[in-house]
Amino acid sequence: MEAVTTRNAQILAIDAGGTMTDTFIIDDNGEFVVGKAQSTPEDESIGLLNSARDALTYWNTTVEEEFPKLLAGVYSGTAMLNRLVSRKGRRVGLIVNKGMEDFHRMGRAIQAYLGYSYSDRLHLNTHRYDPPLVPRELTRGVTERVDLFGNVVIPLYEHEVEPAVLDLLEQDVEAIVISLLHSYKYPQHERKIRDIAKEVMKKVGKEVPVFASVDYYPVRKESHRTNTTIIEAYAADPSRETLSKIDNMLRNHGAKFDLRVMASHGGTISTRANELARTLVSGPIGGVVGAKYLGEQLGIRNIACSDIGGTSFDMALITQGDLSINTSPDMARLVLSLPLVSMDTVGAGAGSFVRVDPNFKSLTLGPDSAGSRVGVCYPEGGIETVTVTDCHVVLGLINPDNFLGGEVKLYPERAYEALKKQVADPLGLSVEDAAYGVIDLLESQLRNYLESMILGKGYSPSQYVCFSYGGGGPLHTAGYTKGLGFEDVLVPAWAAGFSAFGCGAADFEYRYDKTLDINVNNGDEDSSKLKAGKELQDAWDELIEKVAAEFEKNNFKRQDVSFRLYFRMQYQGQLNDLEIESPIQKFKDINDWEELVKAFEETYARIYAKAAKSPELGYSITGAIVRGIVEVAKPKIPEEPLSGETPPSEAFLGQRDVYWKGEWIKANIWEMEKLKPGNKIGAFSILESPATTFVIPPGFETYLDEHRIFHLKEL
Amino acid sequence: MAQYDRKTIEELIDGTIDFYKLKEMLSNFKDTDRFDKYISILQERVPWDDPILLPAGLHLYIVLKPDGKRVVKCDCGHEFCEASDNWKLHALIHVRDTEEKMVELYPKLLAPDPEWQVIREYYCPNCASQLEVEAVTPWYPILKDFEPDIDAFYNEWLKRPIPQVK
Repeated sequence: MEAVTTRNAQILAIDAGGTMTDTFIIDDNGEFVVGKAQSTPEDESIGLLNSARDALTYWNTTVEEEFPKLLAGVYSGTAMLNRLVSRKGRRVGLIVNKGMEDFHRMGRAIQAYLGYSYSDRLHLNTHRYDPPLVPRELTRGVTERVDLFGNVVIPLYEHEVEPAVLDLLEQDVEAIVISLLHSYKYPQHERKIRDIAKEVMKKVGKEVPVFASVDYYPVRKESHRTNTTIIEAYAADPSRETLSKIDNMLRNHGAKFDLRVMASHGGTISTRANELARTLVSGPIGGVVGAKYLGEQLGIRNIACSDIGGTSFDMALITQGDLSINTSPDMARLVLSLPLVSMDTVGAGAGSFVRVDPNFKSLTLGPDSAGSRVGVCYPEGGIETVTVTDCHVVLGLINPDNFLGGEVKLYPERAYEALKKQVADPLGLSVEDAAYGVIDLLESQLRNYLESMILGKGYSPSQYVCFSYGGGGPLHTAGYTKGLGFEDVLVPAWAAGFSAFGCGAADFEYRYDKTLDINVNNGDEDSSKLKAGKELQDAWDELIEKVAAEFEKNNFKRQDVSFRLYFRMQYQGQLNDLEIESPIQKFKDINDWEELVKAFEETYARIYAKAAKSPELGYSITGAIVRGIVEVAKPKIPEEPLSGETPPSEAFLGQRDVYWKGEWIKANIWEMEKLKPGNKIGAFSILESPATTFVIPPGFETYLDEHRIFHLKEL
Repeated sequence: MAQYDRKTIEELIDGTIDFYKLKEMLSNFKDTDRFDKYISILQERVPWDDPILLPAGLHLYIVLKPDGKRVVKCDCGHEFCEASDNWKLHALIHVRDTEEKMVELYPKLLAPDPEWQVIREYYCPNCASQLEVEAVTPWYPILKDFEPDIDAFYNEWLKRPIPQVK
């Protein structure tokens, strides 16, 4: 233990899970401590405070000492998702078009198999519709109809609204959601219903919150829009109270910042934000946001992010410094209209189960996993099926006495026995060869996924720098990047805490979307291009207002916000549109139209091919997007002086036998924290840190740079 | 390899199993002793002693008789015919081939046109259990639902000799 150290805690990142609340506190040197405590669902602030206390004991300091020094705090939690998945949200009433009362209950066919493995998607017997968030009995129809162009075909029958609202109130709904067909094109009817509903409630003295879909997600696709608005009322709005309790607790302990929440678009938003449903997801995107930030600091524009945790392998691409966004993702088996950082996830992680197919005698990995219960080598987990971690233990790749810093003791002989019985004997292999085969299979699967994700998006690995992080990432980095030809492969020394680092590094950012349908034919007059531009500018203005209003809640003035404008465009009649940052700040004249088209065609040529450009089809603008960002404190990237290529002797922990390609070899074991910038380490080496293990197999060497980032080089 | 207790397999047979348990079973490799557990539960539930070789549908089994014949038999004990024959031809058949008979099942105008499609229901002549229903064109022959190769199933899949008369 060090003597007296003064710490400057800067960033607090909170991950409130169902059972444990983790806090990450990062100081001004980029060092961090992790605290854990039991979650307290009835008042999350208690568990959080305990967890922060636990973290700070590692620095011999206290919450009272450090909280006033904090510059920022970011929360992410699973309470909202749990409420949704366990169907324990509010009792919500739904008002839709008369005659369409069943559409929410019917949902979309894809919802019957969302979240399933590929084999289950093909296996129809496994498909199932979850119960709807709003049951049919709490759904009421009101007559009105707007067509897809936004023309009123049937006016709103206003006299039908009052009985519908009274009826729902009588059934004790706790919130009412309004969602009409094509309301994104003509919001007046939904807003009229909203206003009538509020009047009726005032009259009868029973007021519940009302959510009109156009006030939240004015976008196409009514199933997605309705699901998302319902989640807002059902699961997200009830979280506001929790968040304000946490905010108060932090303030009472001297914190001077506004608590922010990680949101699906890759930024953080205020706890008072209008659209809170987008904070539903947060975990896996933290790492991608961290990679983007690290990339900005190091001047890397194209990054392939890869993260191996206990249950999955998550990949994402950052291209030209920007995350790609999926505007109709799914979460909790529901199709949604939220902007979500697009990620590809496969069910292959360190905890994945390893089985031998009894019919074909082939090895299969996952898709299910032991998760935090590790594997057979960890008796407390109660797992009986072999996992990938069991293979690591048998091969000598991980130190059974130093797993998670020695907190979890692993028993290699248990892994050996189980592997022999379940895998090696049925296949007629030695236990070591079976274990090596599993790792080889896993790594070649991951390599295929990674390569096909990049190629599938029209790029090549040679254009990208690969970032590898997560507790299990660095174990396999060499294996899954081998031969792909990445420009560079980077492993931050703080790989295990990278997601939390990412949460702390996220911008304070709002992003709002609006669907548009603006068509300009090939050879149209200037007047129609100007009209199109004006419509786009009107949408941007509307969204800028929305974003500015959100920042005002946290006392940021409009001039402090940097606005970034985006549009979605496609060739008329094609299926996929592209999201493009606008080259213009305001649409003024015909040249601006040409600028927009040029930006679109450049992106189109980059993603598809130059020869695929089809201006003769004309153009459609399908959406407007505004992102607003304000400056907030972020974690510092460590910076240390370079020393020589030879690692210091105190970092050397000894040697261990490792089974690799059919033979036992001696591996050098190094303590990751004690290595110095500038050190070069060759094969066969294993770099250990409490929460991650970095393997340098034959054919590779690594170099630690001045930011404590390892560069893995294929020789 | 997955193993399930007897209670789970009973729930599976009765259709009372929890969906998430069922989904887990469907997504996994089949448990190696499923057939034996399944058959032993069925055997325990029928009131007769002829050994069941294979289930042949709801309420129906192919059983081994003391004389070595393989016979299709109902829960209630009624014996239809030898397994090589089509049991449907030995059952009571109710054919819904008029509008009047159709509206007993469907709302008016939502039933098939009996000129194009009829509904054939098969019943046990002894206990009157409904054994099978088929919706077919009126001229369609009465076919066997399936023709299991019982010998190959035992020898090549279960890898053991087929039960013999003692």
